[in-house]
Amino acid sequence: MIRSDAALKSRGGASYGLDLETPGMLHGVLVPAPVASGTIRSVDLSAARRAPGVVVAVGAGELAALLPHGGDRDRPVFPSTQVLYRNQPVAAVAATTLAEARAAARLVRVDVAPAAPLLDIEDRYPEWPTDLATNAPGVVAHVLARHGDLDRAFRSAEFVHRETYRTNGVQHVALEPHACLAEVTDGTWRVRTTTQTPFGVREDAAEILGIPPESLVVEGTWVGGGFGSKGAAFLEPFALVLAAASGRPVRVAFGYRDEFLQDRTTLPAVLRFETAVAKGVITARRVRMMLDTGASLPGRDFATGYAIGFLLGPYRIPVFEMEGYAIRTNKPPFGPHRAPFAPQCVFAVESHTDSLARRLGVDPVEFRLRHVWREGDRTALHQEVGPFGATAALERAQGTIADWRRTLPAGTGIGVGLGFWSTSTGAGGEVRLRLTPAELVIEQAEHEIGSGSIVRGLVAVAERYFGIPADRIRVTNSPTSTAPFDSGVFGSRTAGALGRAIEAAGDRLLTELRSRSGATDPVRLESGPGGFLVVGGSSRRPLADLLTVEERRDGLVAEGRHYGRSGAIDTSRVVEGSFYPYTDFTAAVQVAAVRVDRETGSVKVIRYAAFHDVGTSLDPRMVRGQVEGGVAMGLGTALTEETLWGADGRMLNPGLLDYRVPTIAEIPPTEVVAIEGFLGAGPFGAKGLGEPPIIPVPAAVANAVTDATGVRVTELPLTPERVARALMLL
Amino acid sequence: MTGPVALVVNGVPAPATDVPDDERLLDTLRWRLGRKGTKEGCRTGDCGACTVLVDGETTLSCLTLTHEVAGAAITTIEGIADDGLGRRVQSAFAEEDALQCGYCTPGFIVAVTGVLAELGPNATRESILDALQGNLCRCTGYLAIQRAVERVRGGTP
Repeated sequence: MIRSDAALKSRGGASYGLDLETPGMLHGVLVPAPVASGTIRSVDLSAARRAPGVVVAVGAGELAALLPHGGDRDRPVFPSTQVLYRNQPVAAVAATTLAEARAAARLVRVDVAPAAPLLDIEDRYPEWPTDLATNAPGVVAHVLARHGDLDRAFRSAEFVHRETYRTNGVQHVALEPHACLAEVTDGTWRVRTTTQTPFGVREDAAEILGIPPESLVVEGTWVGGGFGSKGAAFLEPFALVLAAASGRPVRVAFGYRDEFLQDRTTLPAVLRFETAVAKGVITARRVRMMLDTGASLPGRDFATGYAIGFLLGPYRIPVFEMEGYAIRTNKPPFGPHRAPFAPQCVFAVESHTDSLARRLGVDPVEFRLRHVWREGDRTALHQEVGPFGATAALERAQGTIADWRRTLPAGTGIGVGLGFWSTSTGAGGEVRLRLTPAELVIEQAEHEIGSGSIVRGLVAVAERYFGIPADRIRVTNSPTSTAPFDSGVFGSRTAGALGRAIEAAGDRLLTELRSRSGATDPVRLESGPGGFLVVGGSSRRPLADLLTVEERRDGLVAEGRHYGRSGAIDTSRVVEGSFYPYTDFTAAVQVAAVRVDRETGSVKVIRYAAFHDVGTSLDPRMVRGQVEGGVAMGLGTALTEETLWGADGRMLNPGLLDYRVPTIAEIPPTEVVAIEGFLGAGPFGAKGLGEPPIIPVPAAVANAVTDATGVRVTELPLTPERVARALMLL
Repeated sequence: MTGPVALVVNGVPAPATDVPDDERLLDTLRWRLGRKGTKEGCRTGDCGACTVLVDGETTLSCLTLTHEVAGAAITTIEGIADDGLGRRVQSAFAEEDALQCGYCTPGFIVAVTGVLAELGPNATRESILDALQGNLCRCTGYLAIQRAVERVRGGTP
C-alpha cells in the first residue's frame, strides 16, 4: 500500500509552515540576547521603531498592555531581568518585509550587565554533587531510588567494575525549520503552524500568554520533520504577541542558523557506573547521572527520573542505587529529541554491559541473555514486566552475528546494542468516525509529521478493524476549535492511542448498525461495488438503507477515545524525586559491523541489522521506513553529531558544514526484522515504533568499534579524533 | 538595483519585473511566482531542498541569483513530470516509500532526475550516490531513496 500522501508530496503540492502567507501580513524577527548570562539593564526599541517598514516593536515592557496580567510570570514571552542563554529572544519587531524586520531588529539596543555563564556541568561539579544537591547551585532536580544493601553486595562481589561515560548534545535538523503565521481579531487568537501537537501548542502558548486556551485556535500544516522539535509552543507566542500589537497577520519563521542556535534538544551528560559481579552475573549496581538541562527543563523531574531508569538496562539487577542530577546551564532549554536521551543512556549502559562481558570472557549476547527481563520479571522499581521481545530479538541477533563472523572480512568489528523503551505512553486521544455508504472518514487533530502514523497507521487500523479496503478510508484533520482532542504525535504513541480510539468508535458504530438492522448477531462491514454493506448472520443489507438522508450525506457519526494506563511502581524504593512506570515494554536489538581505520580513527559502518519488538506489525512497509530512518539518524548520533559550545555560551557549529548529519553515501545495507507476538497496548497488540529504532545505534556502533580495536571510546560521538586518541593509548 | 527578468519556468515564460539584483532564484520562484513546491531549507547550499534544474543541470536555487538565469530553462518539481525520466523518478519515490515528511522530496526528485540524466545509464551506483550527497533527508535513512533510484535504473533495488 502506497502511503496516501505520496502523490501530493512527490509533486511538491504539500504546504508546510514555511509556505504560509496571507495578504497584508508582516514579518516578525526576534531580537537575540547578546550574552549567555546577565542582568538586563534596558532594552531600547526606539531606533527600531523609527526604522523603515517597521509597524511594531515589542519587548518585556510592552507585554502588560498586550496580555492579560502581562502573560505568565514564570515563563514570560520576553525576560525582564535575567538573560538565561545567548540568543534568548528579548524583543521582537514586525515590519512590512523580512529585510526591513531584520534590519530593525539589529537596531534594538539590548544593554545587559554580563555575568559569567555556566556552560559545562563538569566545570561546576568536577566531583559529584553531594547529597545536599537540591540546595547546590544550579541543581534543579535531584532523583534518587535504591533497593537492597549496596555496600554488602559490593563487599561480597568478585569485582566491582567502574566506568564513566560522557555524551554530548545533538540537534534535530528537521529539514523544515519552525514557522508560523498568527492573527488576532476580536479576541480570538489564531495561529497556523507546523507542529507535532496542535493541542499541545494551544495549551502551552495560552499559558505563556495568560489567555484561556479556548480563545486560541491552532491550525496545523504539513510538518517537515519533527523528531520532538515541534512538540511544544516555540515561535507561536512571539508571532501572536506581534499580531496582537500590530493588528495585522504576522509570520515568524526561523532559518537554519536560528534553528541551530536555539534548538531545544538533548544536552550533554556524565554517566557513572559501578557494577558488582559474582559468579558471572551482576549482583548490584550504583549508577549516577549529571544531566545538563540548559536554561530550563519542562518536566525536569520526568526527564531525570525517566532517563535514569534506562541506566540499569532491561536487566535483572537485584540491588541498586540510582541517582540523577539535573543541572542548569546557560544554554537553550533541554527539549525532547526522538526517544529523549535514550540513545545516550543506552550507549553508556550497553557499552558498560559489554565491558563486563569482556572482563568475564563471556559472549556479549550470552551475557545479556543471562540478565534480560522476561515477561513476569520485576523492574528495579518492582513494576511487573509485560510481554517483552528482548530475548527473541537477542536470539535472532545471535544468528546474524554468527553469520557475519563467517562471511565478513577479518578485522571487521561486530557489536550489539539492546535498547529498551516504554512506548505507547498513557497520553490520550480521541477520534470521530463518519461512515457514509461510500467511505469511512477518520476525523482527528494531528497532521502527518512523516512517520506515516496518521496517513497510513490510522488507515491500517481501520482497514483491519472493519475489514474494508484502504481506498475507502480517509483521514482528515481540523483546527483545535473543531477537532477531537489528541495529545500529539510523540512518544511512539500516535497510531497506538488513536488506533485504539478508532476501535472504540468502531464498536459504537457497529453496535448502532446492529440495532438498526435488527440483526441478532454482531454485524460487520463489507465493501461492495455500490457502497458498504452491513453483514450479520444471514442478514446482508446496504448501509444506505440503514441511514437517514442526512447521514447518507454527512455520515453516521461515532466518537471514540483512548486514555492509556501504565503499571504501578513500588514507591517505597524512591527516596527523592519522581520516577514513572513504563507502558509497553519495547525491545530493540541492533547489530553493527564496522571497519576502523587505525591511522585516522575513522569508523565506517559496513553492515547493519535491526530486530524490533513491534508487538503486531500494522504495515511492514511503515515498519521498515521507521527502522531505516531511525538507524540513519542514530548513526549521526553515534559518529558525527555534536553541538560545540564556546566558553562565552556561543554555539560554535551552527550549520550543516560543521554539524554533520549522515548523507546518502554513508548508510550501510540494513536488514530489518520485526519480532511479532509480544503484544502491546496498541490496536491488535501493536507497540510504538517511532522512537525505538534510534535508541541502540550508538551502543551497537561503539561495541563494534571495541570489537575491532580492543579499545573503548567512552564519549559520544565516536569522532575520528576520539577513536584515534583511544587507539594511541593502547 | 532592480530590473526585469525573463524567466522560463517549466517551459512557460514567467517574466518578472523589479527583481533586485541580489534576489535568489529560490525566493523568486516561491514568493514572486508562487511555485512553492521548491522548498526552502538552509539557504547556504548544504541541504539540497531547493534543488532545481537549470538547462538540465542540478542547481541550488538558494545560491543562484535570479538575474543569472534569465532566459535559461528552469525546471522545478512542478514541471519535473513533463519529462519521462522525471515522471519515472517521481513515481519510484512513491512506490518505494522514498518520502516521509516530504520536505526534502521535491529537491531530491529533481536532483535524482538531473543526476541520472547527466551521468547516463552506465553510471556506477557509487557515482550516483556520491552525486546525491548534497541532498539531505532526515526521515527515510536514504535506503528507500536508493531503492527508488535503482527502480528507475531498472536494476534490482
